[in-house]
Amino acid sequence: MAALRYSWRMKGYAWAVVATAACTVAGLALRSHIDPVNIAMLYLLPVVVVALRYNRGAAAATALLCVLAFDVLFVPPYLSFAVNDAQYLVTFVIMLAVGLVISGLAESARRAGTARAAAALDAETERVRSALLSSISHDLRTPLAVMSGASSSLVENGERLGAAERRALAESIFQQSGAMAEVMGNVLQMTRLETGAITLQRDWTSLGEIAGSVLDRLAARLAQHRVMLDLPADLPLVRVDATLIEQALGNLLENAARHTPAGTLVRLRAARRDAELLVSVEDFGPGLEPADFARVFAKFHRGAGENAAGGIGLGLSICRAIVLLHQGSIWAEQLPGGGTAFRFTLPLEQAPSPPAEETAQEP
Amino acid sequence: MSEPRPAILVVEDEPEIRRFLRSSLAAEGYRVVEAAGGERGAIDAGTHKPDMAIVDLGLPDLDGVEVIRRIRAWSSMPIVVLSARVQERSKVEALDAGADDYITKPFGVGELLARVRVALRHAARPSNGQEVLAFDDVTIDFGKRLASRNRQKIHLTPLEFKLVACLAKHLGLVVTHRQLLSQVWGPTHAEHTHYLRVYMKGLREKLEADPARPKHLLTETGVGYRLVAENT
Repeated sequence: MAALRYSWRMKGYAWAVVATAACTVAGLALRSHIDPVNIAMLYLLPVVVVALRYNRGAAAATALLCVLAFDVLFVPPYLSFAVNDAQYLVTFVIMLAVGLVISGLAESARRAGTARAAAALDAETERVRSALLSSISHDLRTPLAVMSGASSSLVENGERLGAAERRALAESIFQQSGAMAEVMGNVLQMTRLETGAITLQRDWTSLGEIAGSVLDRLAARLAQHRVMLDLPADLPLVRVDATLIEQALGNLLENAARHTPAGTLVRLRAARRDAELLVSVEDFGPGLEPADFARVFAKFHRGAGENAAGGIGLGLSICRAIVLLHQGSIWAEQLPGGGTAFRFTLPLEQAPSPPAEETAQEP
Repeated sequence: MSEPRPAILVVEDEPEIRRFLRSSLAAEGYRVVEAAGGERGAIDAGTHKPDMAIVDLGLPDLDGVEVIRRIRAWSSMPIVVLSARVQERSKVEALDAGADDYITKPFGVGELLARVRVALRHAARPSNGQEVLAFDDVTIDFGKRLASRNRQKIHLTPLEFKLVACLAKHLGLVVTHRQLLSQVWGPTHAEHTHYLRVYMKGLREKLEADPARPKHLLTETGVGYRLVAENT
């Protein structure tokens, strides 16, 4: 920051020299056509420009340079500092005053601009924070109520309940705690992604392996859908954080399963596209509202008619954050037959191939 | 003559988590020794000589990885680590330091007991590298270096044999990328994960019914691989 300010200041002084020189060239070209008084007016221009853009030091330097150049080149005796007429001192003072006033105004305008931007950022942070709070309190309250009710019933009536009832209560506690863990996990992950607490652990990874592992992990949640895997045999390796990419892929698949009717197809595809890997999760559900294509990745956005069971609207924002961290891009698009494709890209690098087996063997 | 009940050392600072571990493990017939901290746990491992240890990675007094190192300095008892989701790195570190498997919090008892059973079974029958591995219609005879599928001989390259043998030695347990690479390719190749990706793909094509959705040569994303022989 300090270095940045220093270079901004230096630039101001450089501009003082450049602008004065440019004005002098223009003045010399015009000297036969206009009076020295009007040339003095010409010299106000660099002072104003530098004062607007840079600090008062640069503005004062410009004023000084301009008066010197004007005095040496346009006031007789030429090419000397001798000032016959005290009026040119007045010129200098006025230029200096103009420079200082304008640079002061510009500085306060700049400060106000920064303050406005900071205020806008604060408002956005505040909006996200309150959305987070209302979302969390809603999505945690329900499972918490179930858990506290079911467990207190076990504690107080345990003896009088039948085995099947006890089991049902215990099962609902287990299930709801899973839902809570997921909400917490998502909130925590989003926070870590946003605050830069995550450093990518990049390693050579096969997208096919990630797909196999995520389909295994989500088998129960995808059980109501037909899942099709469409990966070419020669898919190149990618150097990514496998854990994060698995999470992104998992979120997209869960999202597809959540928003499409049971029995429909969910297709996971990947293909090489120039220097990128293009990964798609396609569903054949009702499709998105046109306005949703832009906002579906926003935090706490929920699709129409979503309830607590539909998650807290962080899944896709987490996907976006993960893909962006990998210098990829992510978007949603309408499929020709209805349904939605969520696609993301990952940059490809040349994977070194393992040494041929003959040389890699033990002696 | 009844077998003595296996003893399990639980190193965990949260009393509530110790409580549920104690009751679940005791219900399965295990004896439980509890340690509320890492220093205590490392000492108890020596004095109680349990059959295995369950070590939480987020201990306040001593890093769980350090507890594992201290136990590994003198014992090969199975160690299963409990890790939170945010401890991805230390999980791999713990496994590389000698832990045999991990389980991520929050977890269900079923998952934990399955890990404990595999770890104890592994300790009871250490592999000598001469066994026969069988799953689905696949049979691999490591002693004779023969592999067959559906009674048809299949060709595994020497490295593929070494890779599957390394996984089979830790049957049911996770093996990290680093461990596989240094045991199959040598310690200088411990970082060359792309070798593994290429060779695992080849192995799955030869051994799995559906190589895209493996049921036996499982990927543990970000950690390593696990060979599971049961047909589930």
